[in-house]
Amino acid sequence: MNNLNNIGDQEQEQPVEQLIEQTMGEQPKPEARSHWLTRAAMVAAIYAALTVALAPISYGPLQFRVAEAMTVLPWLYPEAVPGLFVGCLVANFFGGNGLLDIVFGSLATLAAALLSRRIKKPWLVPLPPVLINAVVIGAMLSYVLGLPFLLTAAEVGLGQIGSCYVLGLPLLFFLKRMKR
Amino acid sequence: MLKDITIGQYYPGRSFLHRLDPRTKIICLFLYMVGLFTVKELQSFSYVLAFTAVIVALSGVPLKTLAKGLKPMWLLMVLTLILNFFMTSEGVILWQWRFLKISEGGILKGIFMVVRLALLLNVTALLTLTTTPILLTDGLERIMKRCFIPMAHELAMMMTIALRFIPTLIEETERIMKAQIARGADFETGGLMAKAKSLVPLLIPLFISAFRRADDLAMAMEARCYRGGEGRTRMRQLRYQAGDGGAFIAVFCFLVFVIIDRFWLKLFV
Repeated sequence: MNNLNNIGDQEQEQPVEQLIEQTMGEQPKPEARSHWLTRAAMVAAIYAALTVALAPISYGPLQFRVAEAMTVLPWLYPEAVPGLFVGCLVANFFGGNGLLDIVFGSLATLAAALLSRRIKKPWLVPLPPVLINAVVIGAMLSYVLGLPFLLTAAEVGLGQIGSCYVLGLPLLFFLKRMKR
Repeated sequence: MLKDITIGQYYPGRSFLHRLDPRTKIICLFLYMVGLFTVKELQSFSYVLAFTAVIVALSGVPLKTLAKGLKPMWLLMVLTLILNFFMTSEGVILWQWRFLKISEGGILKGIFMVVRLALLLNVTALLTLTTTPILLTDGLERIMKRCFIPMAHELAMMMTIALRFIPTLIEETERIMKAQIARGADFETGGLMAKAKSLVPLLIPLFISAFRRADDLAMAMEARCYRGGEGRTRMRQLRYQAGDGGAFIAVFCFLVFVIIDRFWLKLFV
Protein backbone atom coordinates (compact mmCIF):
# COMPACT_ATOMS: atom_id res chain seq x y z
CA MET A 1 0.00 0.00 0.00
CA ASN A 2 2.84 2.31 0.98
CA ASN A 3 4.61 1.58 -2.26
CA LEU A 4 1.52 2.41 -4.24
CA ASN A 5 1.17 5.74 -2.47
CA ASN A 6 4.80 6.55 -3.20
CA ILE A 7 4.34 5.89 -6.92
CA GLY A 8 1.43 8.32 -7.00
CA ASP A 9 3.49 10.97 -5.19
CA GLN A 10 6.39 10.61 -7.60
CA GLU A 11 4.08 11.14 -10.55
CA GLN A 12 2.56 14.22 -9.00
CA GLU A 13 5.91 15.75 -8.14
CA GLN A 14 7.33 15.35 -11.66
CA PRO A 15 8.37 18.87 -12.80
CA VAL A 16 6.24 20.31 -15.58
CA GLU A 17 9.24 21.07 -17.82
CA GLN A 18 10.36 17.45 -17.66
CA LEU A 19 6.87 16.29 -18.49
CA ILE A 20 6.62 18.62 -21.47
CA GLU A 21 10.01 17.51 -22.76
CA GLN A 22 8.91 13.93 -22.47
CA THR A 23 5.65 14.48 -24.25
CA MET A 24 6.40 17.17 -26.80
CA GLY A 25 10.11 17.89 -26.89
CA GLU A 26 11.28 14.93 -28.92
CA GLN A 27 10.54 14.68 -32.59
CA PRO A 28 9.41 11.20 -33.64
CA LYS A 29 12.06 9.20 -35.49
CA PRO A 30 11.53 8.84 -39.24
CA GLU A 31 10.56 5.20 -38.91
CA ALA A 32 8.04 5.92 -36.19
CA ARG A 33 5.25 6.57 -38.62
CA SER A 34 2.52 5.85 -36.10
CA HIS A 35 3.83 8.54 -33.73
CA TRP A 36 3.68 11.10 -36.50
CA LEU A 37 0.21 9.93 -37.48
CA THR A 38 -1.30 9.93 -33.99
CA ARG A 39 0.16 13.34 -33.11
CA ALA A 40 -1.26 14.79 -36.33
CA ALA A 41 -4.60 13.15 -35.53
CA MET A 42 -4.61 14.75 -32.06
CA VAL A 43 -3.92 18.18 -33.56
CA ALA A 44 -6.87 17.52 -35.90
CA ALA A 45 -9.04 16.43 -32.97
CA ILE A 46 -8.24 19.54 -30.90
CA TYR A 47 -8.88 21.81 -33.91
CA ALA A 48 -12.22 20.17 -34.67
CA ALA A 49 -13.28 19.98 -31.01
CA LEU A 50 -12.55 23.68 -30.38
CA THR A 51 -14.27 24.73 -33.61
CA VAL A 52 -17.42 22.67 -33.07
CA ALA A 53 -17.62 23.43 -29.33
CA LEU A 54 -17.60 27.17 -30.09
CA ALA A 55 -19.79 26.72 -33.20
CA PRO A 56 -21.74 30.00 -33.38
CA ILE A 57 -18.56 32.09 -33.55
CA SER A 58 -16.53 29.58 -35.61
CA TYR A 59 -18.36 29.85 -38.94
CA GLY A 60 -19.58 32.55 -41.29
CA PRO A 61 -18.18 35.95 -42.30
CA LEU A 62 -18.03 37.31 -38.74
CA GLN A 63 -16.02 34.35 -37.46
CA PHE A 64 -13.56 34.11 -34.58
CA ARG A 65 -12.21 30.59 -34.75
CA VAL A 66 -10.26 30.00 -31.55
CA ALA A 67 -8.81 26.84 -33.13
CA GLU A 68 -7.07 29.00 -35.76
CA ALA A 69 -4.54 29.87 -33.03
CA MET A 70 -3.18 26.39 -33.70
CA THR A 71 -2.03 27.45 -37.17
CA VAL A 72 1.27 28.45 -35.48
CA LEU A 73 1.98 24.80 -34.62
CA PRO A 74 3.54 23.78 -37.99
CA TRP A 75 6.47 26.09 -37.22
CA LEU A 76 7.44 23.82 -34.33
CA TYR A 77 5.87 20.50 -35.25
CA PRO A 78 5.82 19.33 -38.89
CA GLU A 79 3.09 16.78 -38.15
CA ALA A 80 0.72 19.67 -37.44
CA VAL A 81 0.54 20.43 -41.21
CA PRO A 82 -1.64 17.42 -42.12
CA GLY A 83 -3.24 17.63 -38.66
CA LEU A 84 -4.60 21.12 -39.26
CA PHE A 85 -5.81 20.14 -42.74
CA VAL A 86 -7.72 17.12 -41.42
CA GLY A 87 -9.02 19.08 -38.41
CA CYS A 88 -10.41 21.79 -40.65
CA LEU A 89 -11.92 19.15 -42.94
CA VAL A 90 -13.69 17.43 -40.03
CA ALA A 91 -14.85 20.73 -38.47
CA ASN A 92 -16.26 21.99 -41.77
CA PHE A 93 -17.89 18.65 -42.60
CA PHE A 94 -19.97 18.81 -39.42
CA GLY A 95 -20.98 22.44 -39.30
CA GLY A 96 -19.60 24.58 -42.08
CA ASN A 97 -21.15 26.37 -45.02
CA GLY A 98 -21.57 23.24 -47.09
CA LEU A 99 -19.28 21.54 -49.55
CA LEU A 100 -17.48 24.70 -50.76
CA ASP A 101 -16.35 25.43 -47.20
CA ILE A 102 -15.20 21.83 -46.78
CA VAL A 103 -13.01 21.94 -49.89
CA PHE A 104 -11.72 25.52 -49.94
CA GLY A 105 -11.56 26.05 -46.17
CA SER A 106 -9.43 22.96 -45.68
CA LEU A 107 -7.18 23.69 -48.67
CA ALA A 108 -6.65 27.26 -47.42
CA THR A 109 -5.63 25.91 -44.01
CA LEU A 110 -3.24 23.43 -45.64
CA ALA A 111 -1.63 26.13 -47.81
CA ALA A 112 -1.27 28.43 -44.79
CA ALA A 113 0.26 25.64 -42.69
CA LEU A 114 2.80 24.80 -45.42
CA LEU A 115 3.79 28.47 -45.71
CA SER A 116 3.97 29.00 -41.92
CA ARG A 117 6.41 26.11 -41.75
CA ARG A 118 8.86 27.90 -44.08
CA ILE A 119 8.80 31.28 -42.32
CA LYS A 120 11.94 32.21 -40.37
CA LYS A 121 10.77 34.95 -37.96
CA PRO A 122 8.31 33.75 -35.28
CA TRP A 123 6.21 36.93 -35.28
CA LEU A 124 5.53 36.44 -38.99
CA VAL A 125 4.29 32.85 -38.52
CA PRO A 126 0.58 33.79 -38.04
CA LEU A 127 0.64 35.97 -41.18
CA PRO A 128 -0.03 33.24 -43.83
CA PRO A 129 -3.18 31.96 -42.08
CA VAL A 130 -4.46 35.54 -41.78
CA LEU A 131 -3.80 36.48 -45.41
CA ILE A 132 -4.68 33.19 -47.10
CA ASN A 133 -7.91 32.75 -45.15
CA ALA A 134 -8.94 36.37 -45.69
CA VAL A 135 -8.50 35.97 -49.47
CA VAL A 136 -9.75 32.38 -49.98
CA ILE A 137 -12.58 32.28 -47.39
CA GLY A 138 -13.44 35.90 -48.18
CA ALA A 139 -13.78 35.05 -51.90
CA MET A 140 -15.78 31.91 -51.15
CA LEU A 141 -18.19 33.68 -48.78
CA SER A 142 -18.53 36.56 -51.21
CA TYR A 143 -19.56 34.06 -53.92
CA VAL A 144 -21.89 31.99 -51.71
CA LEU A 145 -23.55 34.91 -49.89
CA GLY A 146 -23.48 37.44 -52.75
CA LEU A 147 -21.68 40.07 -50.67
CA PRO A 148 -18.78 42.36 -51.74
CA PHE A 149 -15.40 40.59 -51.59
CA LEU A 150 -13.69 43.40 -49.66
CA LEU A 151 -16.32 43.22 -46.91
CA THR A 152 -16.15 39.44 -46.41
CA ALA A 153 -12.33 39.38 -46.72
CA ALA A 154 -11.97 42.18 -44.15
CA GLU A 155 -14.33 40.44 -41.71
CA VAL A 156 -12.59 37.06 -42.03
CA GLY A 157 -9.16 38.76 -41.87
CA LEU A 158 -10.03 40.61 -38.65
CA GLY A 159 -11.25 37.41 -37.00
CA GLN A 160 -8.08 35.66 -38.11
CA ILE A 161 -5.86 38.44 -36.70
CA GLY A 162 -7.69 37.99 -33.39
CA SER A 163 -7.21 34.25 -33.18
CA CYS A 164 -3.78 33.91 -34.85
CA TYR A 165 -2.00 36.93 -33.34
CA VAL A 166 -3.75 37.49 -29.97
CA LEU A 167 -4.02 33.81 -29.13
CA GLY A 168 -1.62 32.06 -31.51
CA LEU A 169 1.51 34.15 -30.99
CA PRO A 170 1.65 33.79 -27.15
CA LEU A 171 1.01 30.07 -27.66
CA LEU A 172 3.91 29.88 -30.12
CA PHE A 173 6.34 31.67 -27.80
CA PHE A 174 5.35 29.48 -24.88
CA LEU A 175 5.70 26.24 -26.85
CA LYS A 176 9.02 27.43 -28.30
CA ARG A 177 10.39 28.13 -24.83
CA MET A 178 9.18 24.75 -23.60
CA LYS A 179 10.70 22.94 -26.58
CA ARG A 180 14.11 24.47 -25.86
CA MET B 1 -21.85 22.92 -21.30
CA LEU B 2 -19.22 21.47 -23.62
CA LYS B 3 -20.39 17.88 -23.15
CA ASP B 4 -23.60 18.59 -25.06
CA ILE B 5 -21.66 18.93 -28.31
CA THR B 6 -22.25 16.11 -30.77
CA ILE B 7 -20.10 15.55 -33.80
CA GLY B 8 -21.66 13.97 -36.81
CA GLN B 9 -25.29 14.14 -35.67
CA TYR B 10 -25.92 10.74 -37.28
CA TYR B 11 -29.63 9.95 -37.49
CA PRO B 12 -29.98 6.15 -37.33
CA GLY B 13 -32.25 4.59 -39.94
CA ARG B 14 -32.63 2.15 -42.84
CA SER B 15 -33.87 4.55 -45.50
CA PHE B 16 -32.78 4.55 -49.16
CA LEU B 17 -30.25 7.30 -48.45
CA HIS B 18 -28.91 5.49 -45.38
CA ARG B 19 -28.25 2.37 -47.46
CA LEU B 20 -26.39 4.17 -50.25
CA ASP B 21 -22.62 3.76 -50.50
CA PRO B 22 -20.83 6.74 -48.85
CA ARG B 23 -18.86 7.31 -52.09
CA THR B 24 -22.13 7.65 -54.01
CA LYS B 25 -23.39 10.20 -51.50
CA ILE B 26 -20.21 12.28 -51.59
CA ILE B 27 -20.02 12.32 -55.42
CA CYS B 28 -23.78 13.00 -55.75
CA LEU B 29 -23.50 15.87 -53.25
CA PHE B 30 -20.73 17.37 -55.37
CA LEU B 31 -22.84 17.05 -58.57
CA TYR B 32 -25.89 18.50 -56.78
CA MET B 33 -23.79 21.47 -55.64
CA VAL B 34 -22.58 22.10 -59.20
CA GLY B 35 -26.24 22.06 -60.29
CA LEU B 36 -27.25 24.40 -57.45
CA PHE B 37 -24.61 26.97 -58.38
CA THR B 38 -25.54 26.76 -62.08
CA VAL B 39 -29.04 28.09 -61.30
CA LYS B 40 -29.20 31.85 -61.74
CA GLU B 41 -32.94 32.63 -61.54
CA LEU B 42 -34.94 32.61 -58.31
CA GLN B 43 -37.89 30.95 -60.07
CA SER B 44 -35.67 28.07 -61.25
CA PHE B 45 -35.31 27.05 -57.62
CA SER B 46 -38.84 25.61 -57.91
CA TYR B 47 -37.58 22.42 -59.58
CA VAL B 48 -34.41 22.38 -57.44
CA LEU B 49 -36.68 22.54 -54.37
CA ALA B 50 -38.84 19.72 -55.76
CA PHE B 51 -35.74 17.56 -56.35
CA THR B 52 -34.43 18.36 -52.86
CA ALA B 53 -37.83 17.49 -51.34
CA VAL B 54 -37.58 14.04 -52.97
CA ILE B 55 -34.07 13.58 -51.50
CA VAL B 56 -35.31 14.63 -48.03
CA ALA B 57 -38.28 12.22 -48.32
CA LEU B 58 -35.92 9.39 -49.32
CA SER B 59 -33.64 10.09 -46.36
CA GLY B 60 -36.33 9.43 -43.75
CA VAL B 61 -34.91 12.29 -41.66
CA PRO B 62 -37.71 14.35 -40.03
CA LEU B 63 -37.93 17.99 -41.15
CA LYS B 64 -37.63 19.02 -37.50
CA THR B 65 -34.18 17.42 -37.26
CA LEU B 66 -33.09 19.13 -40.48
CA ALA B 67 -34.36 22.50 -39.27
CA LYS B 68 -32.49 22.00 -35.98
CA GLY B 69 -29.29 21.60 -37.97
CA LEU B 70 -29.88 24.99 -39.61
CA LYS B 71 -30.41 26.72 -36.25
CA PRO B 72 -26.78 27.81 -35.67
CA MET B 73 -26.77 29.35 -39.15
CA TRP B 74 -29.85 31.55 -38.84
CA LEU B 75 -27.76 34.58 -37.88
CA LEU B 76 -25.66 34.14 -41.03
CA MET B 77 -28.83 33.87 -43.12
CA VAL B 78 -30.44 36.98 -41.61
CA LEU B 79 -27.18 38.89 -42.10
CA THR B 80 -26.95 37.75 -45.74
CA LEU B 81 -30.55 38.79 -46.33
CA ILE B 82 -30.16 42.25 -44.77
CA LEU B 83 -26.79 43.01 -46.39
CA ASN B 84 -28.10 41.98 -49.81
CA PHE B 85 -31.21 44.15 -49.32
CA PHE B 86 -29.11 47.25 -48.75
CA MET B 87 -26.13 46.54 -50.99
CA THR B 88 -27.92 45.79 -54.23
CA SER B 89 -29.78 48.56 -56.02
CA GLU B 90 -31.44 47.19 -59.14
CA GLY B 91 -34.90 47.90 -60.52
CA VAL B 92 -37.58 49.89 -58.72
CA ILE B 93 -36.52 51.58 -55.45
CA LEU B 94 -39.09 50.60 -52.81
CA TRP B 95 -37.76 52.47 -49.78
CA GLN B 96 -35.10 55.11 -49.23
CA TRP B 97 -33.68 56.96 -46.25
CA ARG B 98 -30.57 59.06 -46.91
CA PHE B 99 -28.01 56.68 -48.41
CA LEU B 100 -29.89 53.54 -47.39
CA LYS B 101 -32.25 52.13 -49.98
CA ILE B 102 -34.09 48.90 -50.65
CA SER B 103 -34.78 47.97 -54.24
CA GLU B 104 -36.78 45.22 -55.88
CA GLY B 105 -33.56 43.65 -57.22
CA GLY B 106 -32.00 43.71 -53.74
CA ILE B 107 -34.94 41.85 -52.20
CA LEU B 108 -34.90 39.22 -54.98
CA LYS B 109 -31.12 38.78 -54.67
CA GLY B 110 -31.33 38.49 -50.87
CA ILE B 111 -34.02 35.81 -51.06
CA PHE B 112 -32.09 33.99 -53.83
CA MET B 113 -28.89 33.87 -51.74
CA VAL B 114 -30.67 32.70 -48.58
CA VAL B 115 -32.62 29.96 -50.40
CA ARG B 116 -29.42 28.73 -52.08
CA LEU B 117 -27.52 28.76 -48.77
CA ALA B 118 -30.34 26.89 -47.00
CA LEU B 119 -30.42 24.24 -49.76
CA LEU B 120 -26.63 23.88 -49.67
CA LEU B 121 -26.54 23.50 -45.89
CA ASN B 122 -29.51 21.11 -45.83
CA VAL B 123 -28.15 18.72 -48.41
CA THR B 124 -24.65 18.72 -46.84
CA ALA B 125 -26.35 18.03 -43.48
CA LEU B 126 -28.22 15.11 -45.07
CA LEU B 127 -24.88 13.51 -45.92
CA THR B 128 -23.72 13.58 -42.29
CA LEU B 129 -27.18 12.69 -40.96
CA THR B 130 -27.44 9.53 -43.05
CA THR B 131 -23.79 8.37 -42.94
CA THR B 132 -21.83 7.35 -39.86
CA PRO B 133 -18.52 9.23 -39.47
CA ILE B 134 -16.57 5.97 -39.92
CA LEU B 135 -18.32 5.13 -43.20
CA LEU B 136 -17.82 8.70 -44.36
CA THR B 137 -14.09 8.43 -43.68
CA ASP B 138 -13.94 5.09 -45.52
CA GLY B 139 -15.71 6.63 -48.50
CA LEU B 140 -13.40 9.66 -48.50
CA GLU B 141 -10.34 7.41 -48.35
CA ARG B 142 -11.50 5.41 -51.39
CA ILE B 143 -12.30 8.59 -53.35
CA MET B 144 -8.95 10.15 -52.45
CA LYS B 145 -7.14 6.97 -53.55
CA ARG B 146 -9.00 7.05 -56.88
CA CYS B 147 -8.00 10.70 -57.33
CA PHE B 148 -4.34 9.75 -56.65
CA ILE B 149 -4.18 12.06 -53.63
CA PRO B 150 -0.95 11.21 -51.75
CA MET B 151 -1.22 9.88 -48.18
CA ALA B 152 -4.92 9.01 -48.64
CA HIS B 153 -4.76 6.23 -46.06
CA GLU B 154 -2.90 8.36 -43.52
CA LEU B 155 -5.34 11.26 -43.92
CA ALA B 156 -8.34 8.94 -43.52
CA MET B 157 -6.74 7.29 -40.48
CA MET B 158 -6.14 10.73 -38.95
CA MET B 159 -9.80 11.57 -39.53
CA THR B 160 -10.91 8.34 -37.85
CA ILE B 161 -8.65 8.92 -34.82
CA ALA B 162 -9.69 12.57 -34.61
CA LEU B 163 -13.39 11.64 -34.65
CA ARG B 164 -12.79 9.07 -31.94
CA PHE B 165 -10.92 11.51 -29.72
CA ILE B 166 -13.08 14.63 -30.11
CA PRO B 167 -15.48 13.68 -27.25
CA THR B 168 -12.52 12.68 -25.05
CA LEU B 169 -10.76 15.99 -25.68
CA ILE B 170 -13.94 17.97 -25.04
CA GLU B 171 -14.22 16.23 -21.68
CA GLU B 172 -10.56 16.95 -21.04
CA THR B 173 -11.05 20.63 -21.93
CA GLU B 174 -13.88 20.84 -19.41
CA ARG B 175 -11.72 19.22 -16.73
CA ILE B 176 -8.78 21.59 -17.42
CA MET B 177 -11.15 24.55 -17.39
CA LYS B 178 -12.45 23.58 -13.95
CA ALA B 179 -8.89 22.98 -12.68
CA GLN B 180 -7.75 26.39 -13.91
CA ILE B 181 -10.82 28.12 -12.45
CA ALA B 182 -9.97 26.45 -9.11
CA ARG B 183 -6.48 28.02 -9.44
CA GLY B 184 -8.03 31.43 -10.04
CA ALA B 185 -8.25 31.60 -13.83
CA ASP B 186 -11.02 33.83 -15.20
CA PHE B 187 -12.64 32.83 -18.50
CA GLU B 188 -15.80 34.91 -18.19
CA THR B 189 -15.00 38.57 -17.58
CA GLY B 190 -13.16 41.12 -19.70
CA GLY B 191 -13.32 42.13 -23.35
CA LEU B 192 -12.74 39.96 -26.38
CA MET B 193 -8.95 40.33 -26.15
CA ALA B 194 -8.88 39.42 -22.44
CA LYS B 195 -11.14 36.42 -23.08
CA ALA B 196 -8.93 35.27 -25.96
CA LYS B 197 -5.79 35.60 -23.83
CA SER B 198 -7.42 33.70 -20.98
CA LEU B 199 -7.66 30.69 -23.29
CA VAL B 200 -3.86 30.25 -23.44
CA PRO B 201 -3.69 28.48 -20.00
CA LEU B 202 -6.40 26.19 -21.33
CA LEU B 203 -4.77 25.36 -24.65
CA ILE B 204 -1.31 24.50 -23.34
CA PRO B 205 -2.31 21.72 -20.88
CA LEU B 206 -4.71 20.47 -23.55
CA PHE B 207 -1.82 20.08 -26.03
CA ILE B 208 0.36 18.36 -23.49
CA SER B 209 -2.34 15.87 -22.53
CA ALA B 210 -3.34 15.27 -26.18
CA PHE B 211 0.27 14.63 -27.23
CA ARG B 212 0.71 12.24 -24.35
CA ARG B 213 -2.39 10.37 -25.50
CA ALA B 214 -1.01 10.38 -29.05
CA ASP B 215 2.22 8.71 -27.92
CA ASP B 216 0.30 6.07 -25.94
CA LEU B 217 -1.93 5.40 -28.93
CA ALA B 218 1.07 5.12 -31.27
CA MET B 219 2.63 2.56 -28.96
CA ALA B 220 -0.63 0.59 -28.87
CA MET B 221 -0.84 0.69 -32.67
CA GLU B 222 2.74 -0.47 -33.08
CA ALA B 223 2.15 -3.28 -30.60
CA ARG B 224 -0.69 -4.41 -32.91
CA CYS B 225 1.69 -4.29 -35.90
CA TYR B 226 0.21 -1.24 -37.59
CA ARG B 227 2.20 -0.67 -40.78
CA GLY B 228 0.16 1.89 -42.71
CA GLY B 229 -2.32 1.26 -45.50
CA GLU B 230 -0.32 -1.27 -47.51
CA GLY B 231 -1.88 -4.72 -47.42
CA ARG B 232 -4.48 -3.60 -44.92
CA THR B 233 -7.80 -5.47 -45.02
CA ARG B 234 -11.22 -4.29 -43.88
CA MET B 235 -13.99 -5.93 -41.95
CA ARG B 236 -16.64 -3.98 -43.84
CA GLN B 237 -16.10 -3.82 -47.61
CA LEU B 238 -17.67 -1.01 -49.59
CA ARG B 239 -19.61 -2.30 -52.62
CA TYR B 240 -21.85 -0.41 -55.04
CA GLN B 241 -25.46 -1.72 -55.17
CA ALA B 242 -28.27 -1.17 -57.66
CA GLY B 243 -29.56 1.80 -55.61
CA ASP B 244 -26.22 3.59 -56.11
CA GLY B 245 -26.65 3.36 -59.90
CA GLY B 246 -30.16 4.82 -59.56
CA ALA B 247 -28.88 7.69 -57.40
CA PHE B 248 -26.10 8.51 -59.88
CA ILE B 249 -28.56 8.51 -62.82
CA ALA B 250 -31.06 10.75 -60.94
CA VAL B 251 -28.46 13.34 -59.89
CA PHE B 252 -26.82 13.29 -63.33
CA CYS B 253 -30.23 13.89 -65.00
CA PHE B 254 -30.87 16.75 -62.56
CA LEU B 255 -27.53 18.34 -63.40
CA VAL B 256 -28.07 17.99 -67.17
CA PHE B 257 -31.58 19.49 -66.84
CA VAL B 258 -30.26 22.47 -64.83
CA ILE B 259 -27.54 23.14 -67.42
CA ILE B 260 -29.97 22.82 -70.36
CA ASP B 261 -32.47 25.13 -68.62
CA ARG B 262 -29.82 27.73 -67.78
CA PHE B 263 -28.27 27.98 -71.25
CA TRP B 264 -30.98 26.88 -73.75
CA LEU B 265 -34.47 26.30 -72.37
CA LYS B 266 -34.57 29.35 -70.05
CA LEU B 267 -37.97 28.24 -68.66
CA PHE B 268 -38.22 31.06 -66.14
CA VAL B 269 -36.52 33.98 -67.90
